[in-house]
Amino acid sequence: MRSLLLEGSLLAYLIGTVAGGLALWRPRDGFRHATMLALLIGMVLQGSSILARSAASGGIVVRSFPEQVSFFCCLLVAVHLLAQLRFRLSVLTAVVGPLAFIGSLIGLVDQGAVANVPESFKSPWLPVHITLAFLGNAAFALSFLVSLAYLWQERQLKSRAISQWIRRLPALESLDRINFTFLSWGFVLLTLSILSAVVWAELSLGRFLAWEPRTTWSAIVWLIYAGLLHARVTVGWGGRRAATLTIIGFGVLFISFLGINMLTPGQHAVAYG
Amino acid sequence: MSEQKKNRIRPLRVSPTGKDPLEVWVVGINHETAPIELREKLAFPSGELGDLATRIIASTGAEEVVVLSTCNRVEILATGSQKLELAGPLTEFLSGEAAMRTADLNDHRYVYRGRDALKHLFRVASSLDSMVVGESQILGQLKEQFRIAADHDNVGSLLRRCFEHSFRVAKRVRNETEVATKAVSISSAAVDLARRIFDDLSGKTVMLIGAGQMSELAAKHFMGAGVRNLIVTNRSFDRGVELARRFDGTSVPFDRYQEYLPMVDIVLGSVAADGAILEREAIAPVLRGRRGRPMFLIDLGVPRNFDPTINQVDGCYLYDIDSLASVAQDHRAERAKEAAKAEVIIHEESDSFWEMLHGNDITPTIVALRGKLEGIRTSELDRAKTVLRRMDPEDREAMEAMTQAIVNKILHIPFSVLKDLAREQDAGGASEAKDFVHHLFELEMLYEDKSKGG
Repeated sequence: MRSLLLEGSLLAYLIGTVAGGLALWRPRDGFRHATMLALLIGMVLQGSSILARSAASGGIVVRSFPEQVSFFCCLLVAVHLLAQLRFRLSVLTAVVGPLAFIGSLIGLVDQGAVANVPESFKSPWLPVHITLAFLGNAAFALSFLVSLAYLWQERQLKSRAISQWIRRLPALESLDRINFTFLSWGFVLLTLSILSAVVWAELSLGRFLAWEPRTTWSAIVWLIYAGLLHARVTVGWGGRRAATLTIIGFGVLFISFLGINMLTPGQHAVAYG
Repeated sequence: MSEQKKNRIRPLRVSPTGKDPLEVWVVGINHETAPIELREKLAFPSGELGDLATRIIASTGAEEVVVLSTCNRVEILATGSQKLELAGPLTEFLSGEAAMRTADLNDHRYVYRGRDALKHLFRVASSLDSMVVGESQILGQLKEQFRIAADHDNVGSLLRRCFEHSFRVAKRVRNETEVATKAVSISSAAVDLARRIFDDLSGKTVMLIGAGQMSELAAKHFMGAGVRNLIVTNRSFDRGVELARRFDGTSVPFDRYQEYLPMVDIVLGSVAADGAILEREAIAPVLRGRRGRPMFLIDLGVPRNFDPTINQVDGCYLYDIDSLASVAQDHRAERAKEAAKAEVIIHEESDSFWEMLHGNDITPTIVALRGKLEGIRTSELDRAKTVLRRMDPEDREAMEAMTQAIVNKILHIPFSVLKDLAREQDAGGASEAKDFVHHLFELEMLYEDKSKGG
C-alpha cells in the first residue's frame, strides 16, 4: 500500500516533469495547469505514504537519508506550489519537477522495517520541529534556485548576450523580489523550528539545548540569513550581492544537512539513526 | 516609345562639358564594415551636412553630393563625370575629416558605382542595410539629409531622381513584404531589455538626455510600453520643454540633470557631444543612493554619451547601439525570408531604374535616327506621288505600310544594340556608339538644320 502510494507519486512527478518541460518550451496555460495538477497529486500521494509510515512507527519517520530526501522533496513541492499562487515561475517548476521525481525515487529505496523510536522522540514537538525545519529548508532551496536564475540572467544582461531561455525568466527585479519572499519565509520557518527544538529539549530532555555540531551549524545558517535580510531592509542590499549570499547561505545549509548529519555524532545523529 | 511614356522620362542632366554623362558613386562606412570607434570619428552633426557637401564638391570635382550620416553609417553619394574616378578623392576627403591615413580608411570603406550604387541606395532606403533590418528610422533620416543637400544646392536632377526613386522603392518594400511590420527597431529592443530588468514599467521613470529624433522615438516606445514618468533634458532648453510637453513629462535644465538621476530607472542618451557626458564616477554614488534598485542606461549617441565602464557598476546595465542591435538579432531569423523577398524587389527596381536612366540617355539618338529615316521615307513617297496617285487606295495603303515596315526592320537591330550598350555597367560603350551613330547618319546636321530653319 505504502509502496503503491510512493510509486503513484513517482508517476505523477514524472508527468509533472514532462509537462513542466513542455510548459517551458511552449508557454501555454494548458501545460502549466497540467504540471501543477501532476505535482499536486504527486505531493499528496508522497505525503500520504510518509504519514502512513509515521503512523505505523508512532513518530515522524525521517530516520534514514532516503526518508529525509523524500520528506524534503514533498515539502519542496508543497512550498513551490504555494509560491506558484503568487508568482509565475515556469523555470522553477521545470527544476522542481525533476528534483521531486529523483527525490521520491531515492525515497523508494528505503522501505525497510520501521524501527521503534526512543520514548523522548515520541513527543509531539518533534514532528513540529522537523516539519518546520524541512519547510524552511525547502523555502531556502527555492530562494537558492531563484538566485541562480537571477545570476544567470544578470550575467547575460551584463555581457549583452541574451539567450532565448532567458526570455522565460521573470525580470531581474521580480526574481529579486521573489528571492526576498522565499528568504523571509525560510527565515521565519527556521527561527520557529529552532524555537520548537528548544521547547522539545526542555520538555523531553529536561535541558535547554545541547550544543552539538548540528545546532551550531543551524545557528551559523540563521546568522547568515539574518544578516542578509537585515542588510536588505536597512541598506537596501539586493540584486547580485543578495543572490550570491543566498547561494552561499544555502551552501552552508546543505553542507550542515548532509555532512554534519551523516559524519558527526550528536543529538540529531541519534535522532536520525 | 510606350516605355518612355510609362516612365515619364525627362532628359538627363548633362555635365558642364556638354557631353559626358554622369556616373553615380557611393563611398562610405557602415556598422558592418567599421567599428563604432571609427564611425564616431566620422559622424557629422546634421547641421554641418550641407556645408560638408559643398566642400566635397569643391575639393573632389563631383557634380552632386549628398552626405548621409546616421548612427550606423556615414556615406557620400555623389555623381560626377564618367571620365572621373571619384572613389579615391572621396575616400581622401573622408580620411581627412577623420584625421586618419587614407590607407587605414580603405580597409573599412566600401565603394559602389553605377548600378551597384543605385542598388545600395535602394537597400539603405528600404532598411535592408540597417543594423536592425526593417527599422523605419533610416528612411526618415535619408529624406531629411537629402533635403539638407537639396537646400544647399548640392543636388542636381540625377541624384534627385535617384533619391526620389529610392523613396518609392522603400515604400514598395514596406507594402509588399513583412520586413517593416516584423521589424524591431533599436528602440523596441531597448524596451524588451527594460522588461528583462524591471518587472513593471508603469512605475518607472525614464530620462531623455538629448531631445533628438532618436530619443523621441525611443520615448514613444517606452510610453507605449506603459512608462508614465518622463524627464527630458536638452542643451536647448526650449526644445526639451517642447518634447516634455508632448509626452506629458517634465523638463530639467541640462547643466543640472545629474541631480535627478537617483530617481531615474532608465536613462536614454542621444546627445551630440565630443566625448562621454556621463562618467562612471558620477553614476556609482547614484546607484548607492538607489538602494540596490537597478538602472538601465541606453546610449544612442554617436560618439557614445556614456562611459563604457559604467556597465561594470553593480546594478547598472549599459547598452549602446551595437549591443542593442545584437540583442535584436534573434528576430532577424524570422525576417530573413521577408528580407529575401525585399532583395528581389531591390534587384528588379535597380535594374529597371538603371535601364530607365540609360534608356533615356540614348533616347535622343533613337528619336533622331527614327526621325531621319522617317524623313527619308516620306520624302521618297512624296517623290513617287505621281505613281502613287494612279493606284487605288488599298494599294496605296499597302505601299505606305511596306515602307514603314522597311524603316522599322532597318532600325530594329541598331536600336536593340544601343539599348544593350546602355544597360551595360560601363556607359562608355553606349556613349561611343551614340557618337558613331550621330556621325554615321549626320544626326547633328539634322539638329543644326532644324535650328537654322527656326
